[in-house]
Amino acid sequence: MKLFEYQAKETFRKFGIETPAGVLIKNAEELSDAMAKTSFPIVLKSQLLMGGRGKKGLIRLVSDEAQARKECGELFDSEYNVRKILVEQAVDIKTELYLSITVDPVEAKHMIIACGDGGVEIETLAVESPERIIREYVDPDRGLMPFQIKNVGFSLGLEGDLLKKFSAVLANLYKAFVSSDAELIEINPLFITGDGNIIAGDGKLSIDDNSDFRQPSYGKTRDYYDSDAEYEASLEGIPYLQFDGDISLMCAGAGLTTTVYDLINYEGGTVANYLEFGGPNYKKAVRAMELCLKNDSKVILVVTFGTIARADVMAEGIVDAISRLKPDRPIVTCIRGTNEEDASRILKEAGLVPLYDTEEAVRKAVAIAKGEKP
Amino acid sequence: MSIFIDETTKVLIQGITGKEGSFWTNHMIGCGTNVVAGVTPGKEGQQVEGRDVYHSVRRAVDKVEVEASMLFVPPRFTKDAVFEALDGGIKKIVTVADGIPLHDAVQIRKAAMSEGAMVIGGNTSGVISPGRAMMGFFPYWIERVYKQGRIGVMTRSGSLTNEVTAMVVKAGFGVSSLIGIGGDPVPGTRFAEMLPLYEADDQTDAVVIIGELGGTMEEECAEMKGLGIFTKPLVAFLGGRTAPEGKRMGHAGAIVSGGKGSVKDKIKAIESVGGKVAERPRFVGDYLKELLGDRVR
Repeated sequence: MKLFEYQAKETFRKFGIETPAGVLIKNAEELSDAMAKTSFPIVLKSQLLMGGRGKKGLIRLVSDEAQARKECGELFDSEYNVRKILVEQAVDIKTELYLSITVDPVEAKHMIIACGDGGVEIETLAVESPERIIREYVDPDRGLMPFQIKNVGFSLGLEGDLLKKFSAVLANLYKAFVSSDAELIEINPLFITGDGNIIAGDGKLSIDDNSDFRQPSYGKTRDYYDSDAEYEASLEGIPYLQFDGDISLMCAGAGLTTTVYDLINYEGGTVANYLEFGGPNYKKAVRAMELCLKNDSKVILVVTFGTIARADVMAEGIVDAISRLKPDRPIVTCIRGTNEEDASRILKEAGLVPLYDTEEAVRKAVAIAKGEKP
Repeated sequence: MSIFIDETTKVLIQGITGKEGSFWTNHMIGCGTNVVAGVTPGKEGQQVEGRDVYHSVRRAVDKVEVEASMLFVPPRFTKDAVFEALDGGIKKIVTVADGIPLHDAVQIRKAAMSEGAMVIGGNTSGVISPGRAMMGFFPYWIERVYKQGRIGVMTRSGSLTNEVTAMVVKAGFGVSSLIGIGGDPVPGTRFAEMLPLYEADDQTDAVVIIGELGGTMEEECAEMKGLGIFTKPLVAFLGGRTAPEGKRMGHAGAIVSGGKGSVKDKIKAIESVGGKVAERPRFVGDYLKELLGDRVR
């Protein structure tokens, strides 16, 4: 789960990493209170999970009250569904650094990434000037050693008091990374201020979903999702992505579903939604179809090839969903795997025409979406 | 001889008395697997499918010889169960658990590497050599997918594996050994680490990789082929070629690989060493025919 900047910064502070003074506001009225607690110039930072907020004009530096009120209103009214703004004291920046920690799946180690060019897109830099990126691999059983912190600090060209302060930041960031079961923890930019302090200018924290049971719950709220449907699906634990094409996918397995997505594109069709009801969700056909029917798609395409997600159970689910929801659009089925003979019988008895070849099913769905009779 | 397991491999089942454990133990035996014992703490003295159950791995290995362990253990207890198997001296471990915490997965792979063991999974269906043995859960009775033959298959997926393997069989081939390394970001074993086993296997003529976007596992396989460590024909199928960017984490993967990991890079890497990348599952069979010609299937 990706957290918002303000949540990442809450974690930073909990682990002793300094952040700019700031107040989180939920509407334009709360700006007065936030301004009372900060002094100009201030930065209005829209709390959204997407990258490139700066380029999209979602972060504004303002120098007086009138400007702050005007721009705050604009942000809350923007097309990006801004629900929270972090109002922060602007910082006197001397230098900007990049610092992050993630896992290296090949070495099975934690990997610290640092760079003297803060504020840049690290992926771009990794391609264009890979030599500027500093990497330090940490053995998860030994933990981060002092010599490794010094390696990173010296590579960044830090000395004296700054090196000392940076060492504390890195040690604390590593503690936060491990304690939070993070996939990624990132400070970009990490400010070195005019008066020689080190402050986290921005924050990213992505927590491993598989570790939910041992992490404090952040609660699933609508803020984390791009659409109502994606939010609703997430509450059911159903992987779902919203698009605006013609064919609703109701498939099983991440690999098979993305393959069907590809095949639809190859055949000149368009996808209305990606939806997986395999794995633990294979008995949720009714909920899955309900989500599909909320789209104005022209056809629902069901493709499965399951082992534990039994074909007969999924076929029964589809038939049950049809009788309960009475869908207003055709359904193309290609349900295979464990007990597939029973599945075919169940579908035929319900008046459906079961298909067995994925490409054939995809072509059928694309044809229907283009106006052919089912 | 197949790779990883065959009908002689002595297999222990950790979590044998659970619902999944006992159900699939029955099927593993049905497929030909040599299951020698099981472990469930507190259940020593019971039997499952005629196999003795022990309190712990240590108590099991004291009584019977064990070469491989199959884990039917919930994700949050998987790290402990893997370490227990390693402690028992077992060098081949398969875990099917879906939902192993990321930081646990890092420690599991690290431990396996330092002890010279091989952990397959998690988030996988496991390992199968059709007609011989399996560790995990495969519908081995579906002939049009799990037909014995001479093609090695490595995969990150479940349902997609059935889809692609069915195309391999439809083209007239069969499977020698199928290894599901699993869909987690940090699998215990990586594709490239399996290639030397396929290379040495005289019953494998070619290898099919069922991969996906992100990470560098396909590029690592290309590197093995480029170095001549793996010399047999290689065909890859990559799902998600047209998938829009930015919906998954992406970030860390992109940094790790320094620009690798896009489907374009993967295709380039595999093709540059003479491998083939299939655009559709059906083409995997076509490429195998092209690469193997009239060789025995």
